[in-house]
Amino acid sequence: MSSSARTIPFRRAPAASLARGSLRARIVADLRRNRYIYLMHAPVIAYYVIFHYGPMYGAIIAFKDYSPAQGILGSPWIGLQNFQDFFGSVYIVRLIRNTLAINVLDILFGFPAPIILALLLNELTTPHFKRWVQTITYLPHFMSLVVVVGIMIDFLARDGLINNLLRIGGIQSTAFMQNASWYWILYVGSSIWQSVGWGSIIFLAAIANVDPSLYEAAVVDGANRWRQMWHVTLPGIMPMIITLLILRIGMMMSVGYEKTILMYNPSTYDTADVISSYVYRKGVLGMDYGFSAAVGLFNSVINFAFLFAANRLSRRANQMTLW
Amino acid sequence: MSTNVIRCSRGEQTFSVINIVLLALLMLITAYPLLYVVFASLSDPSSIVAYRGALLKPLGLTMDAYTRVLQNPMIAIGYRNTVFYVVAGTALNITLTCLGAYALSRQNVMFKRPIMLLIIFTLFFNGGLIPTYLLVGQTLHMADTVWALIVPTAINTINLIILKTAFESVPVSLEEAARIDGANDFTILFRVVLPLSLPALSVVVLFYAVAHWNAYFQALIYIQSRDLYPLQLVLREILITSNVESMTTSVSSGDRFEIGQTIKYATIVVATLPILLIYPFLQRYFVKGALLGAIKE
Amino acid sequence: MPNDVTRRAFLRLAGVGSVALALTACQTVTPSSSPTRAPASGAATAPEALTLPIVSQPLTLSYWAPMSTNVAASMKSYGEIACYVELEKRTGVHLDFQHPPLQQEQDQFNLLVASGKYPDVIEFDWLHSYAGGPSKAIKDGVIVRLNDLIDKYAPNYKKVLSDHPEWRKQAVTDEGDIYVFPFLRSDPVLLTFIGPVIRQDWLEKVSLKVPTTLDDWHTMLKAFKDENVNGLGSTIPFSPWFSSIPGGWNAWYGAGAFLEHAFIGAWGITMGFYQVNGTVMYGALQPEFQDFTNLIRTWFSEGLVDPDFPSTDQASFDAKVTSGRLGSMVALDGNGIGKYMGLVKDPTFKLVGAPYPMMKAGDKPLLGQRDFNYPGGGSAAISSQNKHVTESIKELDYAYSDDGHILFNFGIQGDSYTLESGKPTYTAKLMKDPQLPPAQAMSRYIRGNFNGPFVQDAGYIMQYYQLQVQKDALQTWLAPSDERQMPPVTPTQDESRRFASIMNDVNSKFQEVFTKVVNGSEPMDTMAGLPGQLKQIGIDDAIKIQQAALDRYNKRQ
Repeated sequence: MSSSARTIPFRRAPAASLARGSLRARIVADLRRNRYIYLMHAPVIAYYVIFHYGPMYGAIIAFKDYSPAQGILGSPWIGLQNFQDFFGSVYIVRLIRNTLAINVLDILFGFPAPIILALLLNELTTPHFKRWVQTITYLPHFMSLVVVVGIMIDFLARDGLINNLLRIGGIQSTAFMQNASWYWILYVGSSIWQSVGWGSIIFLAAIANVDPSLYEAAVVDGANRWRQMWHVTLPGIMPMIITLLILRIGMMMSVGYEKTILMYNPSTYDTADVISSYVYRKGVLGMDYGFSAAVGLFNSVINFAFLFAANRLSRRANQMTLW
Repeated sequence: MSTNVIRCSRGEQTFSVINIVLLALLMLITAYPLLYVVFASLSDPSSIVAYRGALLKPLGLTMDAYTRVLQNPMIAIGYRNTVFYVVAGTALNITLTCLGAYALSRQNVMFKRPIMLLIIFTLFFNGGLIPTYLLVGQTLHMADTVWALIVPTAINTINLIILKTAFESVPVSLEEAARIDGANDFTILFRVVLPLSLPALSVVVLFYAVAHWNAYFQALIYIQSRDLYPLQLVLREILITSNVESMTTSVSSGDRFEIGQTIKYATIVVATLPILLIYPFLQRYFVKGALLGAIKE
Repeated sequence: MPNDVTRRAFLRLAGVGSVALALTACQTVTPSSSPTRAPASGAATAPEALTLPIVSQPLTLSYWAPMSTNVAASMKSYGEIACYVELEKRTGVHLDFQHPPLQQEQDQFNLLVASGKYPDVIEFDWLHSYAGGPSKAIKDGVIVRLNDLIDKYAPNYKKVLSDHPEWRKQAVTDEGDIYVFPFLRSDPVLLTFIGPVIRQDWLEKVSLKVPTTLDDWHTMLKAFKDENVNGLGSTIPFSPWFSSIPGGWNAWYGAGAFLEHAFIGAWGITMGFYQVNGTVMYGALQPEFQDFTNLIRTWFSEGLVDPDFPSTDQASFDAKVTSGRLGSMVALDGNGIGKYMGLVKDPTFKLVGAPYPMMKAGDKPLLGQRDFNYPGGGSAAISSQNKHVTESIKELDYAYSDDGHILFNFGIQGDSYTLESGKPTYTAKLMKDPQLPPAQAMSRYIRGNFNGPFVQDAGYIMQYYQLQVQKDALQTWLAPSDERQMPPVTPTQDESRRFASIMNDVNSKFQEVFTKVVNGSEPMDTMAGLPGQLKQIGIDDAIKIQQAALDRYNKRQ
């Protein structure tokens, strides 16, 4: 067991020690003690206020019948009409279900993948090979979606490479890209393939940050590589894992439209059509910024709720919280 | 490398072998698309158009696509501009992100939670393209300047949180020891926290740099002067004008048009190659603990 | 229906004006004006004749316009095009062009409008791409109503409109407001450029003639398949895939061919909205639609249709054609026939344009592909912040005069064209440039091969199509009467919003059911249930909206 002087970092609830004295006195003391910290905060907060909160009034487009010429403030209000349009769609359930399903699958399989890769890479003893693997595996991240999906379509066609191989093996050919049951697997699978290498970088960095003396101590205690990984490495990178997991859960309602548009077709709408692709199609039918803003707002609210819940869970379970 | 002592147990050896095989396999399937792109970019266009299946070598080796792309006078301008945006942009990014991450990682700061919430809120809610455009373009008069590509994206919240998480893992004891020695927060940031967080710092630098390298949307919206075009915009233009999918052409121009197919691939290579060369330089920061020992109290 | 026109408008907007053809013997007279134009005389509201130069002092007008990719290939601004250089010499007005980045036009246009700072002239697709339509653009105060100004200062354009009331009807709002100097395509040969295309050599191999009826097609497709005509054993007799603009209803590549009214047109219906004598109808609700679906479904089950048609993309489609596996399709004359003939080196590879199939031999096909004279794109409006309205009007009017017409369509005599037997003929500089394909070479001199605020001349396309097969194909495709197509109607903003809401769901349902029934995963019964489902989603309201828009359109002056 590791017995190190170094604490595994976690956020404690604000100390009760601050409770002394009146509120005003405490604030003054805090400002004095942490003056440089607030100084550091200043430009950062300024940035967010100017560039993120400044334009935030634009979010009211969701409740308006927006016309660029009339401007955001000048366009007429239509209240919840946009939301009604969205929820009134016969497909609303399917859209939400698909969006959630893809994200759940992506979290279940796609989130651990880079972690596992990082751990495996960490176990390599030849630095040369390790460097090659790292460099090559992160390349797909840079391939444009158009190229990647184009290759997929080509390989998965009824007379494409994959089916040809299957036929050699005596298996009948399947029209993968037209089969709604395959869609989620293909979507998530190709996402994992494209992001596992790049995603492992951050975990490699986190692994590199683990105090080597912990390993030495573990070895002294008789731990083999497995136990070291389990008792030293993993706990060491757990804060990063938890943080990124919480953030990932905060994207539960977001599935990009670009890849969906490239991959889907009417025979897979059942499982492929997500909120963003649906909104995109509507946007092409008739420019309606208000509608997409409304759906975006809905997505954001749900996402935020997920994040909140995940963060609270994390705080209860292991005292790790984003804020 | 988790330990300097070499374990010879059977289990571990098998594991090593399996590990290597798995990773090699992974290398192959992730390398394939890039190979496809490289081979296609060196191929004869009409062969590529008619080809199905796995591409294992260039079909009819030709450098035509590359000459078309690299001969474009805008390429040099694009590279030059992008290098500037990457360097200047990342510098600003890192400065602000370090400051913010440090400030958020310290304990006993009264307003930390509200500030953190304020920042995280912006991950989810924003005003959209038009108000931002009006702000940057009209209120701040940044349109068509380099600032439009650097300042509005000065901080990426995810990167900020990553760096904050890394800063939090620096032992509190070190910070306390430094304070006893009379250090203020700036000193602690530069002398204690940053050196101990080099791996995470390099990753964040990498993320920002790559984001700038790949960026084109901001330029698309705000930049009119061709002189300020980043590389991706130049490549995009080359691609669109040589890809006559949306255009009607007549027969005699057959080969001029086809080349659009392979130019698509050549632009990807031209855009991605420099990144491939950068990563090895950053990898050395991922060597664990090399510097940690030096800072032990 | 608006979407069909949007799609085609886009195809035109991005590239060459159109892909038509005429028989070499066809001598279409330039329609914009008769050879001798006398200044409008006698009428009480005679506009002043246009005299050059327009200004005595140099004047600069700011001019925002999307840049055609043809031009972008070798130039940085429209100001470099030879016709504009010459135009400035003649009129004395300098045009300061502002171009948004390629393929970012819609976003940039919206930002432009939102910014509240308008250039003098804004050239765009005001018909389709302004939220709320052109009437709203005027009401919102973005552009100005031009009727009175044209009466006073634009004699040439006024004459064009009065000579062609059907064009005028397309290019005004429901209230009769003229809002642009439009891009107008004069002749039917400029409006048709898509149709069925078949491998000629395959036809010869199976000893069949070009099919004209649905039964002929069936026979031919079966022959292609049964006789293993390409020797590869993997023949795809037909694919309905047809390229279109990404995204949206129109990106339903899988059945794009039917969206061009091929095959389905034989029943006199379409895949979307159409009108019969002023009454709007929707294809999928008609009993004929069941018959059509059944036909395609049967063909599919016999292996005559590409089983991958829903999930093909442009690259794999091109591969199917150029690798010799696909026997027939629906394609563009230029970027289809022209492209493939150029790509394939094999001399036995021959294509032929086939007529839109009919029910019985001797029938006249009711529906094929035909665009409208006013597609929407490339039309110039005067912004409300223009301080030199009179000069702007005169400047834009010039393009509709005889000389202006020649300038924009053919360029400069001796340089970009010469007169052969009285017809302007493009010189080798345009047709045989060593570096650039003709489409791009032409755009260095003229706008006649893509779009702009002028009347496009049929003479252009006759020369642009260099292959006989292209010219023949066009003639073949001109046959359908197309009177059932929906004209370019303009729904109001409220109507648009409601319409888009309903149609998004309607389209999704329709595409899904059609695809699944055709490829056999669902039985015909599902298709029989489709009209009921569409009604539940609200197709009837959508039809009402279209009907209201059509009624207003028909009443236009």
